[in-house]
Amino acid sequence: MQLAQVILNGLLLGGLYAAMAAGFSLVWGVLNIINIAQGSAVVLGSYVAYFAWRYAGLNPLLAVALAGPLLFGAGWVLQRFLIQRVIAAPVLITLVFTFGMDLILNNTMISLFTADYRKIEGVFPTVPLHFGALTLPVDRLLAAAAGIGVAFGLHFYLHRSRLGRAIVAVRMDRQTAELMGVRVEIIYATTFGLGLAMAGVAGCLLAAIFPTSPLNSAYYLHIAFVACVLGGLGSVLGAVAGGLLLGVVESLGALFVGAEYGTTVAAVVLLLMLFTRPQGLLGRAGYE
Amino acid sequence: MTPGLVVSNLSAGYGDVSVLTDVSMSAEVGVITAVIGSNGAGKTTLLRSLSGLLKPRQGSIRIGDAELSGSKALDFVNAGIAHVPEGRRLFAGMTVEDNLLMGAFARVAPLAELRRDLDRIYAMFPKLAERRRQDAVSMSGGEQQMCAIGRGLMSRPRVLMIDELSLGLSPVAVDFLVESLKTISSDGVGIVVVEQDVAVALDLARHVVVMDRGRVSKAGSSSDIAQDRAIRVAYLGVD
Ligand SMILES: Nc1ncnc2c1ncn2[C@@H]1O[C@H](COP(=O)(O)OP(=O)(O)OP(=O)(O)O)[C@@H](O)[C@H]1O
Ligand SMILES: [Mg+2]
Repeated sequence: MQLAQVILNGLLLGGLYAAMAAGFSLVWGVLNIINIAQGSAVVLGSYVAYFAWRYAGLNPLLAVALAGPLLFGAGWVLQRFLIQRVIAAPVLITLVFTFGMDLILNNTMISLFTADYRKIEGVFPTVPLHFGALTLPVDRLLAAAAGIGVAFGLHFYLHRSRLGRAIVAVRMDRQTAELMGVRVEIIYATTFGLGLAMAGVAGCLLAAIFPTSPLNSAYYLHIAFVACVLGGLGSVLGAVAGGLLLGVVESLGALFVGAEYGTTVAAVVLLLMLFTRPQGLLGRAGYE
Repeated sequence: MTPGLVVSNLSAGYGDVSVLTDVSMSAEVGVITAVIGSNGAGKTTLLRSLSGLLKPRQGSIRIGDAELSGSKALDFVNAGIAHVPEGRRLFAGMTVEDNLLMGAFARVAPLAELRRDLDRIYAMFPKLAERRRQDAVSMSGGEQQMCAIGRGLMSRPRVLMIDELSLGLSPVAVDFLVESLKTISSDGVGIVVVEQDVAVALDLARHVVVMDRGRVSKAGSSSDIAQDRAIRVAYLGVD
């Protein structure tokens, strides 16, 4: 029974990881950019939720509607007018670029908000739900459900909408997409915007549960990276699967090996995965 | 004789390499024009210039009253040119129907209208209707070519350009595609086909443009070209 509870905890955590990884994976897949600033963008989303709660009493889960569009716009402009200039450069160049973005964003947040941990409190009932012997904290349940829900929303957007299909088409074959009349630079901007919007959403959900500080950003980036590689690069559903798997692996690792080794066990699983199934859970061999 | 696409004195190339020199040709609406020529003659380069993927160095590309030389690919699509690329280049991992819908990307049309166009394409290529939910690249070469042509038609082009219609396809599939293209052209679409198989090209087209090392070496009605001794020797292997 304890095992079931630990797996459940892992899944609840994994739902948040899924949201963190989905946008990161999309940007990597479509633009071939490894966005080092994803973790800081998540923290930025957390601050949006924190201040919206602090000054307007907004529920952090609803702050998604604020942080999502805000970070989408920022991402769109950033890609369209800045990153677009180096988009054709080797991946190392864009990597250095987003690394620089991360430094600027993270240090700006530290100087504006300090590195103190800030916590949203008193929004959700503190008494957890009980299902038999299983305990379900309300805030975690809602946040995880929202995380998975938004990731699925992104997936359906990509496959059911006109613009979404164009994003997938550009990923598959940029030049042929151009032949269809797709303006690739607009698709890139939209995709980068969606990537940051997902980070913002994840940040709001995290802020509902965990304290917010710019110091979290490296850990969030690590999560997004591992979940994305576990699940299969560039696939949103893969990121969801990878996020859930990572959450469960971390929880089980903490149970069987020790609380301080959760992340280490996750790293070992990642290595095993890279040896046995390098395309990830849902990725396809030979993509990218 | 409605002129669809008129190309005059077009020159194009890649970097320092110049490929097309002074190419002039036209493709009338409702007529099939074949472009033939040996490997490396510049046929693909010509089509890439005519769909805006490659900026020409010189010359003019007109459709109706619009001058397109120097414009973006989107402007070419909007002006009514569709390009079915060499190797078909369907979007992998996307269904047949999503591939077809991508063809209509530049049109901002109501869904009902797109549905009608899809149904027309499914009526023309019933195989695609059966496989509409299937990954497009999991189909046979012939079916993929149907999908690529259907995708091109979804933009409602005035001129449809197809690079390497028959390459790698079975004779049955080629016959079927040839008949389909004749129907499409009789519906008033201009068609430009780049075709390796000169016998197929002569059967299909009313006009033939022969390219050689980046230039148009001959152009005329397919019956004239079929009579041409040099062509017969070079491409059909007969005297
Ligand atoms: N991307 C490119 N960069 C540089 N040169 C190119 C490029 N694409 C084609 N070429 C050159 O341009 C010339 C014409 O090529 P093109 O593909 O247009 O010929 P083609 O007539 O379509 O040949 P094929 O029958 O083999 O398809 C060739 O010499 C080729 O090497
Ligand atoms: Mg060619």
